[in-house]
Amino acid sequence: MTSIFENLPVEAAELPSIGEIDFHPIEKKYLQVSLISSAIFWSVLILGWLAIVHFTEMEKTLLSYGAGSGGILLLAAFNVIITILAFKKKQYALRQHDIIYTKGLLWHVRTTIPFNRIQHAELKQGPLERLYGLHSLKVFTAGGQTSDLVIPGLREDRALSIKDFILGKTADGDSKD
Amino acid sequence: METAKIDFSTPRRQASVAIGIILIKFIRMTIRAIWPILISFFIGGRNNSTFEEILGYIVIAFGAFNLIGSVLTYFRFYFHLESGAIVIDKGLLKRTHSNIPFERIQTINFKQNILHQIFNVVSVEIDTAGAKKSEMSIDALTKADAEALRSQIMEGKSQLEPTAEPVQQTTAELLEKLEAEEAEKEPILHLNPIDLLKVGISQNHLRSMGIIFAFVFTTLSQYDENWTELVANQAENYESYLPESGILLFAVTTILVLIISFLFSLINTVLKHFELSLYLQKGGLKVVRGLLNREEISINQSKIQIISWSENPIRRMFRLFTLQIEQASSAEASQLKSKIRIPGCYMEQVRKVITSTFPEEFFRDEPRHRVSILLKYRLFFFVGVVPAMLATVGLWFTAEWEALYALLWIPAHWFMVTLYYKKRSFELNEELLKNNTGIFGNGHDLMQLHKVQAVKVKQSWYQRRKAIATVQIFTAAGHLTVPFIPLQLALELENYLLYRAESDKREWM
Repeated sequence: MTSIFENLPVEAAELPSIGEIDFHPIEKKYLQVSLISSAIFWSVLILGWLAIVHFTEMEKTLLSYGAGSGGILLLAAFNVIITILAFKKKQYALRQHDIIYTKGLLWHVRTTIPFNRIQHAELKQGPLERLYGLHSLKVFTAGGQTSDLVIPGLREDRALSIKDFILGKTADGDSKD
Repeated sequence: METAKIDFSTPRRQASVAIGIILIKFIRMTIRAIWPILISFFIGGRNNSTFEEILGYIVIAFGAFNLIGSVLTYFRFYFHLESGAIVIDKGLLKRTHSNIPFERIQTINFKQNILHQIFNVVSVEIDTAGAKKSEMSIDALTKADAEALRSQIMEGKSQLEPTAEPVQQTTAELLEKLEAEEAEKEPILHLNPIDLLKVGISQNHLRSMGIIFAFVFTTLSQYDENWTELVANQAENYESYLPESGILLFAVTTILVLIISFLFSLINTVLKHFELSLYLQKGGLKVVRGLLNREEISINQSKIQIISWSENPIRRMFRLFTLQIEQASSAEASQLKSKIRIPGCYMEQVRKVITSTFPEEFFRDEPRHRVSILLKYRLFFFVGVVPAMLATVGLWFTAEWEALYALLWIPAHWFMVTLYYKKRSFELNEELLKNNTGIFGNGHDLMQLHKVQAVKVKQSWYQRRKAIATVQIFTAAGHLTVPFIPLQLALELENYLLYRAESDKREWM
């Protein structure tokens, strides 16, 4: 399998491999944030369904109230299970030259962005996150939205230090050129 | 030299014909916004006089609004150059004052529609990076003014660049240099009428058909009450023929649609790519093209991220390729803008563009690495079998046994996916990554490794079981995908790409 890289000036095997990197999990409290926000989302959906049944011409039986809500609840339960199981997959790592974030239970995605390609980094905090004192770190590249990276669930000090570290690295790269 | 005489340091207006050009622009904008109303006025409102009157007033009001608006727009628009920046003041009610430093300016492109061509003026588009408002345009400047403006900005920009040699140059020397650069412009491609015709003939006519259908249906649905009636009325006349000549009618319609699609794409091609020329100039490429709308696009060499070239079976007979250059541009600029398609290139011209953009010695054939055969099976299952099954079940209720025709999609798709898999491969060396794709035609995408912005390694649940992965490689303009390769290889590819991006100090945008 390494044969593809044989004619390259650097042996691929000698490069530091991502497999050996220590990944950090994000804050456990963020699981609660995700669960609360999905609880809000699904409750709104159920309320919406109840409103539809109540205010339209539909038959107002227990069955019509229950069938839709039950379906939504089932989806909600599935969503909660996935959220809990997938939470462990949300991990990040900082290396000498890049930042890595992994996520996804069924569809596993690992995104890596070299520091010298980062355009901008910022911290964001939604209302729920503020309640828990958590921050999301957003990293922007010139590669467009699909390649941008968001690491949620970081403690404030941690988030700030990572952001400063990244911005320091990008500035470093610029001044060295 | 004439350019030296033109002084941009005090606020200037545009060329006076700009009033007319702005007026036309205004009228086109309003017509685009209200044309469904106009059409329904002509079709539906004829026998209703008050309706007609009201609309008449509206049209007059719009006309007056346009005229006043364009005159005011012209008189309220000023631009000038000031301490390393272009300053534009404009706005009717809300004045905006924009100040764009030269270093933020990416490219300056000229455009001419038919009016511009008649009056020998150009519209100037200034593409900038980073800012929210990514584009500034000046509607009409005389050609000489525009050229002078561009060369003064570009000159100012090159002086800012730290890499430029710190020689104290006099203006005369600089101008000489600029002239020399202008002379260095080397033509790569000039599309002659025969090649233009070949390009038109070999367009994707199915796409034109799709565009026509989409247009017809959206147009019809604009005045949805009328159109079903309209069609029904028309169809009534033919109804008596239908039973006997159903097949004939179908055949005639098909041929008609084919001819219209063919003409549509042919005319479209001629309008867009008339007199297309591609030049190699210092620091990049330049494209000039168009019949009614003449456009001139400069492409900065270091901004080019991906070069693609492709052919379809008809183009292959002519040995023509479509070249596509994807360049990094400001985030707000449309995706269309950052992709420049140049049809009608022969392979040597494609090669010339590539070797002048990327290091020449690395553009060579490398061993083609295949992707996993599982990709073929997955595609076949999800794009071939599943939709065919769903369609069959769905159609069963209306068409019964004839629904089984939908199953023909399965062998057809198997045939296509076999071709696709046969062509799907990638090539890699220490500088470039090349993707090969295609079903009936062939497509190739080429990128420079160090321009990587981000790398994603993706694995679905299924891929994890089979220890394969998909690698997505993002550049500042689009991304390349290497699907379904062994996980180990994917990780090595990821590592190598990152290593190249992190260790390479060259400019990437």
